Amino acid sequence: MTTNRYSRQILFPQIGAAGQEKIQKKHVLIVGAGALGSSSAEMLVRAGVGKVTIIDRDYVEFSNLQRQQLYTEADAASRVPKAIAAEKRLKEINSSAVVTGVVAEATKELLEQYLMDTDVLIDATDNFETRMLLNDLAVFHHIPWIYGACVGSSGMSFTIIPEETPCLHCLLQKLPVQGMTCDTVGIIAPAVQIVVSHQVTETLKILVEDTEALRGSFFNFDLWTNEYSSMKVGRAKNPTCQTCGTERTYPYLKGENKTKTAVLCGRETVQIRPPHSKKLSLIKLADSLKKNGYKVIVHPFLLSVEMEQNRLVLFEDGRALVHDTKDVTFAKALYDKLLG
Amino acid sequence: MNKLLFFAGLKDIINADHLELNLAGKTVKEVKAELKQQYSDLPLESVLTAINEEFAFDDDIIEKNDVIAFIPPVSGG
Repeated sequence: MTTNRYSRQILFPQIGAAGQEKIQKKHVLIVGAGALGSSSAEMLVRAGVGKVTIIDRDYVEFSNLQRQQLYTEADAASRVPKAIAAEKRLKEINSSAVVTGVVAEATKELLEQYLMDTDVLIDATDNFETRMLLNDLAVFHHIPWIYGACVGSSGMSFTIIPEETPCLHCLLQKLPVQGMTCDTVGIIAPAVQIVVSHQVTETLKILVEDTEALRGSFFNFDLWTNEYSSMKVGRAKNPTCQTCGTERTYPYLKGENKTKTAVLCGRETVQIRPPHSKKLSLIKLADSLKKNGYKVIVHPFLLSVEMEQNRLVLFEDGRALVHDTKDVTFAKALYDKLLG
Repeated sequence: MNKLLFFAGLKDIINADHLELNLAGKTVKEVKAELKQQYSDLPLESVLTAINEEFAFDDDIIEKNDVIAFIPPVSGG
């Protein structure tokens, strides 16, 4: 029965019976169970990956259902944590896979618990702070990881093989202050699937140990304008990179590059302070939020937005107050949804 | 002439599909500064720049007929 189930994949000569056997012994760790995470987890579990772990801090909402393929209306109605809903659905799809959904914020400490036997790490996060943490951890523990992101009808992906390719820190020496996110400029589901198709194919190549076949370039597309580009990045490998260069400090494994959060005394409010002061364009952000149906009030130095159950007040330097909650993880998830 | 391509939302800021400019002899940094003057909203500090589909540094010099692409790293997932 097992042979039957994977027969079409085994017929594909680059995988074959030997490749399938390897796939079934491997562990893939997926960070994020939103659109990218749902789709790659489903493909990998169907492909027969032996062990899939998926980490997410958020719960299912109705606005997720248009593209986050593992979830149902019932999940959204009862606000099930994504990692729980994902685990349940993935186990229904393939009962022989060892699937673990973890409801938590992806911190260094948490990720290290799962990284030890991880063969490939897949990025399905929605913010650059976590991506840079993944990058530092992957290089430190020598695990291949696959960056992926999408917004609107665009997306991109890049496979990082520690000690061979440039790392994400080589490519992004300066982090975007105001990343474009699905909550500010929207997203169509096909853009998700293109990114995931690239991430999962690269993952399969690594799992069957056909690293020669890896793409090597930075892939980027816009489906609506019919543009595709594949950027060669070999020369970007930076010998003085703090993450993968000769003198490594792994800056994102240290506390000072972490966003600070605090529950404000006597108030149902969480304060969020980014590690480096930003200079946000509040007017521009307010415009895109309004276009997406949010109720927004904007002053020269602060922006107030009504979320589903909370009010979030954002200052020009990137500091935010999330009202009507004491849940730090939840507050940070809201913040990243708006600012990436 | 040089063709300039803009990805993921940058097109909306320049309000055009692409630009054609004569940039031969200029560095990437100089081109970014010129674009920033004309389109102050372009987030060029953190974009990836490619010349003829290869990663470019700020001090790379643009040659005749080079195609330059600006790719803003996006964060949605």
